[in-house]
Amino acid sequence: MSLSYTPLDEIPKIHAKARQAFLSGRTKSIAFRKRQIAQVAYLVKDNEQRFKDAMMADLGRPHQETEFIDFGVTYAESRLAYDNVEKWTAERAPEFSPNWFFMKPRLKPEPKGVVLVIAPFNYPLFLLTVPLISAIAGGNAAVLKPPEQTPVFSALLAELLPRYLDPELYHVINGGVPEMTKILELPWDHIMYIGNARVARIIAEAAAKHLTPLTLELGGKNPVIVDPRVDFKMAARRILWGRVSNAGQTCLAPEYVLVPEEAQPALVSALREAYRAFFPEGPKNSASFGRIVTQAHAERIKKLVDETRGTIEFGGDVDIAEKYIGPTLVSNVRPDDPLMSEEIFGPVLLLIPVKDVDEAIAIVNSRDCPLAIYVFSDEKDFQTKVTENTQSGAVMVNETLITVGAPGLPVGGKGPGGYGYYTTKYGFDQFVHLRVSLNNPAWVDKFAFWFRFPPYTAAGAKKLRSLESPLPTRPGDAESTLSKTWILLLATILAAGSSVVAFRALERAPRS
Amino acid sequence: MSALAYTLTEDIPKIHETARRAFDSGKTRSIGFRKEQIAKIGYLLKDNEKRWREALHADLGRHPVETGLFDLMPTYSEIEMAYNNVEKWTKPQGIPFSLTWLPMHPKFQAEPKGVVLIVAPFNFPIFLLLKPMASAIAAGNAVVLKPSEQTPATSQLLAELLPKYMDPELYHVINGGVPETTKVLELKWDHRNGRVARIIAQAAAKHLTPVTLEVWKNPVVVDPKVDVKMAARRILWGRFSNAGQICLSPDYVLVPAHFQDTLIEAMKEVYKSFYPEGPEKSNSLSRIVSVAHATRIKGLIDETKGTIVLGGGADVSKRYIAPTVVRDVSGDDSLMGEEIFGPVLAIVPVKDVDEAIAFIRAREYPLAVYVFSQDKKFQEKVFKNTKSGAACTNDTVVSAAVPGLPVGGVGSSGYGYYGGKHSFEQFSHYRASLDNPSWVDTVVFSFRYPPYKPNYTRYMRILTSKLPPRPGKHATVSAAKRWGFWILFTLLGASSALLMKSGRFAQFKAWA
Repeated sequence: MSLSYTPLDEIPKIHAKARQAFLSGRTKSIAFRKRQIAQVAYLVKDNEQRFKDAMMADLGRPHQETEFIDFGVTYAESRLAYDNVEKWTAERAPEFSPNWFFMKPRLKPEPKGVVLVIAPFNYPLFLLTVPLISAIAGGNAAVLKPPEQTPVFSALLAELLPRYLDPELYHVINGGVPEMTKILELPWDHIMYIGNARVARIIAEAAAKHLTPLTLELGGKNPVIVDPRVDFKMAARRILWGRVSNAGQTCLAPEYVLVPEEAQPALVSALREAYRAFFPEGPKNSASFGRIVTQAHAERIKKLVDETRGTIEFGGDVDIAEKYIGPTLVSNVRPDDPLMSEEIFGPVLLLIPVKDVDEAIAIVNSRDCPLAIYVFSDEKDFQTKVTENTQSGAVMVNETLITVGAPGLPVGGKGPGGYGYYTTKYGFDQFVHLRVSLNNPAWVDKFAFWFRFPPYTAAGAKKLRSLESPLPTRPGDAESTLSKTWILLLATILAAGSSVVAFRALERAPRS
Repeated sequence: MSALAYTLTEDIPKIHETARRAFDSGKTRSIGFRKEQIAKIGYLLKDNEKRWREALHADLGRHPVETGLFDLMPTYSEIEMAYNNVEKWTKPQGIPFSLTWLPMHPKFQAEPKGVVLIVAPFNFPIFLLLKPMASAIAAGNAVVLKPSEQTPATSQLLAELLPKYMDPELYHVINGGVPETTKVLELKWDHRNGRVARIIAQAAAKHLTPVTLEVWKNPVVVDPKVDVKMAARRILWGRFSNAGQICLSPDYVLVPAHFQDTLIEAMKEVYKSFYPEGPEKSNSLSRIVSVAHATRIKGLIDETKGTIVLGGGADVSKRYIAPTVVRDVSGDDSLMGEEIFGPVLAIVPVKDVDEAIAFIRAREYPLAVYVFSQDKKFQEKVFKNTKSGAACTNDTVVSAAVPGLPVGGVGSSGYGYYGGKHSFEQFSHYRASLDNPSWVDTVVFSFRYPPYKPNYTRYMRILTSKLPPRPGKHATVSAAKRWGFWILFTLLGASSALLMKSGRFAQFKAWA
């Protein structure tokens, strides 16, 4: 099925329509927003088979993976947003301040306007529906740009969206580079881009021209640090699962494993066992293993594997015409190996033998901040050492990938991994601006705020100083006099109390 | 007045490197350390208040009351807030209760971004540099400040005092003009906070650096029923403080044509009370930052097609612009084009509030919309139909001083926030984490491993969220159904109890 691209001259019209629909004010109603959020969920629920078939056609993805990740995360987000729109959009007061509270200071989240969401090919469904839900919750109009590399899915979404959602507020634009360029010329009120750093720079430069705020969710090369004392069977299963889901095309997938040299053979065995358990008839014949999105990407991955100086322990099987790259384990990889030069984004797992956890941490810190760090260990000290001495978008112990599924955990990168968040309230926050307000009664000027009007006087300066916040204790000073006072007071009360008790006891004691 | 010493361009990358290395050392991990540094900002100011006041008087002709009110007081508040809240803001947070996810210990915690750059304009050097610095430090970052070269005395003082009070490796001041700023922007920062909007955004785009920005042109809408004396005072106060060099300053007033005369009469009274000996002799009027800016503002006044009713004078060599009010200004006047950033208020007569709203909507989103009215409906009408960073009633500018109310724009007035927890969040990354015990796989999660079973949906159900109700009549039916069930249940229960008691069905008791 071929994907029809949106005509270039239609693109500014779509933007204008969305803007007009936003300005009509109908997204102000919370009930309206909730209805639209629910409709996103039903857009998926009513068409589950068609979406599963689309992912199979575009990505060779097994249905279970589509259900677990794409559907699961969409439904969770729809439920969370639906239940929380009122709370998230409620007007709130800042922390109480005696000098200011009578001016009724308030904050209210308001929509930014017309937002753009651009998603990559690997999980095009939830990476569009989740930001869409956040944008709707915030009261925005939204335009979605699905990836052109998943034509069946993208055509399906373009067909279904106007059937379920308000067709003037929410749109799909399909296309390739020329269409994307046209889209980026327009002034958006926020752009959420999920993808890679190279394209992110182009988007950020285009956005800068209009001062458009951005959320960037990019990739990274995610490391696993293994404690030799951990249960290798459990670790191997969970690491391999994270690597082979969606044929390795997951931005959170573990890419390389840092393991002490002497433990490498045991980990290789455990991984091999997991591999055999996962694919008893071999991965190519398995209904539980996906395909690479395009032949070009498959070739890219094959080239990296061909150039490696490491040892291929299992896998290495390839069929470019079928876009098949077999789950592959490469051991004895060094940090300067070709497989370490870029994000593989395929089902190839690397083992890098190290001396100890310090060397592992040093290797992780010498590279760009990853989206996630995975620690496999049952020892709290080991876990804490790794967590505290590294930086990452997320950190997981004895697990890979699943932070995305936990409703309420913000997903976001750091450094080259991007900035901002998606999912949950933090995703919602990206799509609103906090409008502050206050209402100052006239009497305030007579009693409190008179000194602000010229001509300024010495009396006014004195009044102003009396309103200033006290500073914290000067660093280096002894305990503050205030706490000294409390201690003294407490001591006095205790002394007085015990004297009274002692006196009474003495009174009651029989006179000898 | 000492000349400002510019940082040598070759030293700029070295400073960046020093800050980065100091950050990587992990020194800022300690909450105690952060609090100490925050307190030191306070003492940097307090111990040297006289010198700060003198510097600001030299640079901006500022009276100590204005320096106290706009620069020192809000910064002391911010220091108090940051100091008292670091523990709370940085402690790990959980997610909404979920039985399924609870065993995996999902959490997230604020972590520093790294090395942060704060670029400030000339108008409020302390507020715009040290206030955000407090929250950047609370978040655990290293910080480099770039003050304006247009306030040489203040910027020089900052460069002298910062290393005396603050950790000299983590916190730096870089001074300079365009070449130095360009050099600064070539480097890779983990976050920047600043003003020269589009230029900074584009430089940031190259490095995928997140940015916080602010820009302005703020309208006032006047209700003819308002207490006109109060309105005149508070509007002129907001326009003339700091000689109009405030981003939140009211730029123009939309007033019903029939009320213009009344408003202006009230303003004339206020003007006399502010400057009893005339503004040029007043010690309560600040000066424009530079001769160039003063010349620019005078040019705008000279070109106006409106009528000057107050002020209009200037002495650009002394950087003096008289507080000026111009009436009968039209939408395309010189005063309505570029931002004035000076003490010149334009009065724009309109037919009614609807025309006022349309006038505002036809322009870029401002940093603030001000409404002067005691009528709640009037206030709501204007705010609901406009968009801005702030929406304030019966006052101008003061929202920036309220602790807990962030200053932030939308659209052309910028994005991101200054102040309190919002600043802290801009300077942090929320790192998500989870810790998955092995037993979870046995109990719930084993279905995720290949080979996938045909009946996988059975296992997945436990993890799948329940959808929101489908919009349409089904929504009310399910609620009614639920209520109906419980009412029926209660009735049945109650009636069978009654019947049993009445003995009617005594024969059935034998069965029990």
